[in-house]
Amino acid sequence: MARRDLWPDIESLLAKVERPARYLNHEWGCAPGAGADDFAFCMIYPDTYELGQANQAVRILVNAVNAADGLAAERAFLPAVDMADAMREAGVPLFSLESCAPVAEFDVVGITLPHELAATNVLETLDLAGIPLRTEARAEDDPIVLAGGPCAFNPEPYAPFFDVILVGEGEEQLPEAVALIRDLRAADTPRAEILRELARRVGGAYVPSLYRWRSEEEAQAAGSWAEPLFDDVPAVVHKRVFEGFAESNAFEPMIVPYTEVVHDRLNVEILRGCARGCRFCQAGMMYRPVRERSADNIVAAVREGLGQTGYDEVSLTSLSSTDHSQIADILTRVNADCAGAGVRISVPSQRLDSFGVEMAELVAGQKKGGLTFAPEAGTQRLRDVINKNVTEDDLFSAIDAAFAAGWRRCKLYFMVGLPTETDDDIKGIASLAQRAYDRAKAAVPPEQRGSVRMSISCAVFVPKAQTPFQWDGQISPEETLRRVGLLRRSVKYKAVDVHYHDPKTSFVEAVMSRGGREVADWVEEAWRRGARFDAWTELFNEEAWTGAAEALGIAPQAIAEAVYPTDYVLPWAHITAAVSPKFLARERARAADGVTTPDCTFENCSACGACPTLAMDIELQEERPLKEGERHAPNPYRTLKETP
Amino acid sequence: MADPRLFRLRVTFRETGRLAMLSHLEVARALERAVRRAGLPFAVSQGFSPHMRIAFGAALPVGVGGTAEFFDLFLADYVPAERALAALQEASPADLYPTEARYIEARDAAASVACPVSTYEVRLSAAPAAVAVPEQITVVRKKKEKTLAVAEFLVGPIALEGDTVRFTLEAKPTGSLRADAFARELIAATVAAGHAPEGLHPVSFMRVEQRLA
Repeated sequence: MARRDLWPDIESLLAKVERPARYLNHEWGCAPGAGADDFAFCMIYPDTYELGQANQAVRILVNAVNAADGLAAERAFLPAVDMADAMREAGVPLFSLESCAPVAEFDVVGITLPHELAATNVLETLDLAGIPLRTEARAEDDPIVLAGGPCAFNPEPYAPFFDVILVGEGEEQLPEAVALIRDLRAADTPRAEILRELARRVGGAYVPSLYRWRSEEEAQAAGSWAEPLFDDVPAVVHKRVFEGFAESNAFEPMIVPYTEVVHDRLNVEILRGCARGCRFCQAGMMYRPVRERSADNIVAAVREGLGQTGYDEVSLTSLSSTDHSQIADILTRVNADCAGAGVRISVPSQRLDSFGVEMAELVAGQKKGGLTFAPEAGTQRLRDVINKNVTEDDLFSAIDAAFAAGWRRCKLYFMVGLPTETDDDIKGIASLAQRAYDRAKAAVPPEQRGSVRMSISCAVFVPKAQTPFQWDGQISPEETLRRVGLLRRSVKYKAVDVHYHDPKTSFVEAVMSRGGREVADWVEEAWRRGARFDAWTELFNEEAWTGAAEALGIAPQAIAEAVYPTDYVLPWAHITAAVSPKFLARERARAADGVTTPDCTFENCSACGACPTLAMDIELQEERPLKEGERHAPNPYRTLKETP
Repeated sequence: MADPRLFRLRVTFRETGRLAMLSHLEVARALERAVRRAGLPFAVSQGFSPHMRIAFGAALPVGVGGTAEFFDLFLADYVPAERALAALQEASPADLYPTEARYIEARDAAASVACPVSTYEVRLSAAPAAVAVPEQITVVRKKKEKTLAVAEFLVGPIALEGDTVRFTLEAKPTGSLRADAFARELIAATVAAGHAPEGLHPVSFMRVEQRLA
């Protein structure tokens, strides 16, 4: 089917809006777009171009669908508020970039759910596209609307808005789902049957409309809130894993944007997953098992990526890049390749226990901006509760190495409101940051001590689905402010400043993170009252959210703050990341006892269940380097690609 | 600035089609990336934050394209100009496309001030009977209103051929009159004088020539 070209309509709006480069397409490396005969998929990031174009999932999934026979993918982003308003006024619907076609004319539309504050933007996206907001309101010929991404691990707050929610890694799952829809459409299969076939045949596909939502009492007795309406749809949806990740090419074709985007650089994903086991961290549970790509693969991908894009910065990305077993070798080789070309090499997510003198030197030789470490909690007691497994000495050694190597600014990330936190833990944050500042000052030449800066950045703890802390509540916004106040008063040094995240938005995050299907009504009502771009502090519309709760008679505070015993069945019990509920409950009990659990990429298996459930191994290139005095413990699930 | 060991390549390029909507900063970044993709032996500045030695010509307003834009690229090694041009063309999109490259002297004026006189061509949505030229234009700069005398900046007569207006403006060291602001006022004055109906607007807007005063 030929899709309309909206460019003439868009072009006439561009003179009036900010940053027209967001809407132009025609970037270096962009694909031609879907032809009239292609089965067309539109991948949408529900925020502006600056955020969406930088998103790795969008890049990977568009490439994956384009690589499949007869399928073509395009990109779309939510226009900024000025453009969205101009489009509504002119009657122009949401459009794709490549062929500037109306999103509603695509065969399949996929929206990624990157974080909990994107929910109203999902509705803004659907509305601007002219697609009915709820699955039951969609007509036979409307596009099939898919979701995926981190929030799929508690899909219920979005459940009524999507035909299908894909859980897990999408490299194979998404093209498979789109191809199946194409085949069924070609056979004139009715929409309802297409959805049922997806639930039956695509691993990790959750079709909310095929499940009845049970009452709390029923759910606790049945062990799940979602009751399948048919025998052949899965009672528990297992996440998909891209099993070929470690062997797959680390080079991924990419588009080079004209306008500046966040993380405007070449990103090369060097490993997936993190088994450090922080008990608050959803990503750490979601992407198991850990899989590393080889140094050769990564070094070649950096070379090819820089050559094809012309970027002057490359980032070696993952959840914990300094944990890669060959990170020193990789950095040495990439540094040598880029010598003299003015290329910056960045390593995000540096663990402070693996940031030694060597690492400091390997990412040195370039401009040294700020360095960020995440102790997460201010006292060893609380760090043990959350299983952060880093000590003050780790932090201080990292600070010594970094400041001796030339850094002058350091940001320390903490969370407030973690389970079991007391005022002593809050005061501990101030104390730790001040002592870190003293260490930093001692590590630099006397004449440069004045430029040493340390900052504390605090986020409010948001309990996340599929983690050991999923049963814990968030503290109230008032209590957050009290604790932040205590922290600010406890910091005596002028050179140490305190930043904190707005507890009002963190509260919405917690409700979205822990809520069941009833939360979807709250999202829709908040959006109808004007909430959109909730993640943009200056656009967050608190009245819309509170007004919506009052109008619907629901109590979001109870959802955010409730504390449950670990045998309570949570609203995402029918979705699994392959980490067993028993493991999560056991980890919660160990947290209560202040007992840590080691990282299974170094030590023995912690019996989370991921490897046996998925029939996979942890795939490392070689044994990960240890600190002095430590030893590797054998783990039957750990496979080494290269034996030394 | 003038390092005699470096080779100074002046590259002329066109900025056309949709890419006329790019800002000066966006164009600069895109050209720099094209140079990297072309694999040319560009010079890198010394110091704390090493970066490519490249200098850009006078900025174009957002929405205005150009057929004679240029930048100066400093090369650490000599590459025949035609080879450098071919490599750049290979690494550039059609709407931001190098058309000429030649070596110039290290002591030549900086790219940003080398050519203060610019000629623009505006194709309008309709052919006016005549154009009315405003004598003064009030612009807002850093939240302050400033009144500019058009005669101070306008070089030569304004040409009208059918739907296309051609005019030349000179940038002064003390400031300049933006081509888009001038065209906007010119159109408003033309409509006000009854030479064209309401709704007259530019369909395309290009800088077609840049030269010395």
